[in-house]
Amino acid sequence: MTAGEVLARIKQQLGVPWREQTYRDTFKFGGPDTVVTGIATTAFASMEVIERAGSRGLNLIIPHEVTYWNDRDDTSAVERDATYARKVELMKKHNVAVFRIHDHMHAQRPDFTFVGSARAIGLDSKHETAPGSHRFVIPETTLGALAARVKTHTGARALRVVGDPSVKVTRVLLGVGYATPPTPAPDVEVVISGEQQEADSSFDSPEYVLDAMVAGATKGWIMLGHTISEEAGMLEMAQWIKGFVPELPVELVKAGEPFWVP
Amino acid sequence: MTDLSRRQFAAVTVGGMAAPLLARPADAQAPVTAAEVFERIKAGIGVEWKADTVDAIKAGDPATRVTGIVTTAMATITVLQQAIKLGANLVVSCEPTFYARNDSRTPPATVESSDPVYTVKNALVDKHGLVILRLNEHWKRRQPNPFTTGFGASLGWATRQAASDPSRYELPATSLKALAGAIARSLGSRGGVRVIGDPSTSVKAAALLPGSTPIGTMLDTLPGVDLVVAGEVREWESVEYARDAVFAGERKGLVLVGRVVSEEGAMRECATWLSGLVPDLEVRHVPAGDPYWRPA
Repeated sequence: MTAGEVLARIKQQLGVPWREQTYRDTFKFGGPDTVVTGIATTAFASMEVIERAGSRGLNLIIPHEVTYWNDRDDTSAVERDATYARKVELMKKHNVAVFRIHDHMHAQRPDFTFVGSARAIGLDSKHETAPGSHRFVIPETTLGALAARVKTHTGARALRVVGDPSVKVTRVLLGVGYATPPTPAPDVEVVISGEQQEADSSFDSPEYVLDAMVAGATKGWIMLGHTISEEAGMLEMAQWIKGFVPELPVELVKAGEPFWVP
Repeated sequence: MTDLSRRQFAAVTVGGMAAPLLARPADAQAPVTAAEVFERIKAGIGVEWKADTVDAIKAGDPATRVTGIVTTAMATITVLQQAIKLGANLVVSCEPTFYARNDSRTPPATVESSDPVYTVKNALVDKHGLVILRLNEHWKRRQPNPFTTGFGASLGWATRQAASDPSRYELPATSLKALAGAIARSLGSRGGVRVIGDPSTSVKAAALLPGSTPIGTMLDTLPGVDLVVAGEVREWESVEYARDAVFAGERKGLVLVGRVVSEEGAMRECATWLSGLVPDLEVRHVPAGDPYWRPA
């Protein structure tokens, strides 16, 4: 089976039309003629993921995120870099094709990034206000206890929290990756998401939550990190692909959390 | 203005004090207004003032007579309360005060007009007659860049600066693990420090990238040093680049400390500079602190 044939099946099963104008969801290495011996899904086609997947014959790598460290995967921005040259060598060595699935994953229903993140965090779908609302009303706890539980469930070493750990919370809004919702909505107490610019953005939640602590408003902000936030859903992605590509092994090969903390 | 709750009222009155505690007595000098301080900044900063800039008075009456100045990386309510206790009514902030780049006292359409956080912050500014000035883009363009010299000073590296470049430091060879710990202690970090790289890597040539850094700058910087200490980056850019570089065999480290924490040194230097610019006023630096903590 070729990478092109796998993609034709993905497009057919997606449930939403393929947007040909996407610059994100394209081949980053290899192409439709690459003969596929196995499929790896992951958050990032990092060099470590390429090595681990490639050495096991999972040579069609489907990352949710970029390969060349910029959103457009513009290689002209990185082509003089030594690490880029080694990454290309590694992809050649393992004869991999890399195809990003980002925009269409978020357009799909359900969006597996949310399904996977809720599962990984330990948010129960029975507490979601409506399917796909990403709003959860959980049994009352404190921000500190919630953050500790999220850390234990996800294993995120470098999870970061803003807010008063002792404040009682029950209303959680889940975001994914860099799509981090703002904190002020009255029916939102805690936003859990991946990553966001810290200040000087369209809405600066860190400062807002710090001020809410003093102003008497119940707010909290839990940042999982981009990979922890979005990689869990690549398991759902692998299982979904396996359903219509039964001939090939399909596995999640985790990029994993990039950080450690002092 | 909506009615304030008891807790909100407490936030606005700063421990019940109505009058500044340490305001300097009126002296023979002519009173300086916030607008005049701003004009002295524009005239003295040493870089051409841009027509289109975020550096402007964001709250308060420019005609206010300044009783004292506080500089900070981010003018949180807690920082404003400390300024009031110090008798200062002009706050110079590197980052926005009203939770967005547009830095407007009026909540955006997506936020309720009665939002309690905006309400309390606005009431605090009005009650105490505070003036808030954002100073970022022009302060960043000074040479040597006070963001890098200030960050280096915060880390205790001032004597380690390499040649004439305040973004480069030559440190005694140290493991990345030990150095990351020392960095977190120097900055008083609660939970904002995150590291990429093998903890046992020995590092000595370091580059500082305070504030927010795009991938292009990281591609230009990391290959030439052992360690980059940065404020914030985009994780899909520089974090993944550093992770790949390490896997490819480069003996490198990337330490992220948080944007606001990385900018505090620049605002401490700003306080020193302003002291010379308005010698008849007390100028102090009040750090916003590390916004982040981490569960055990």
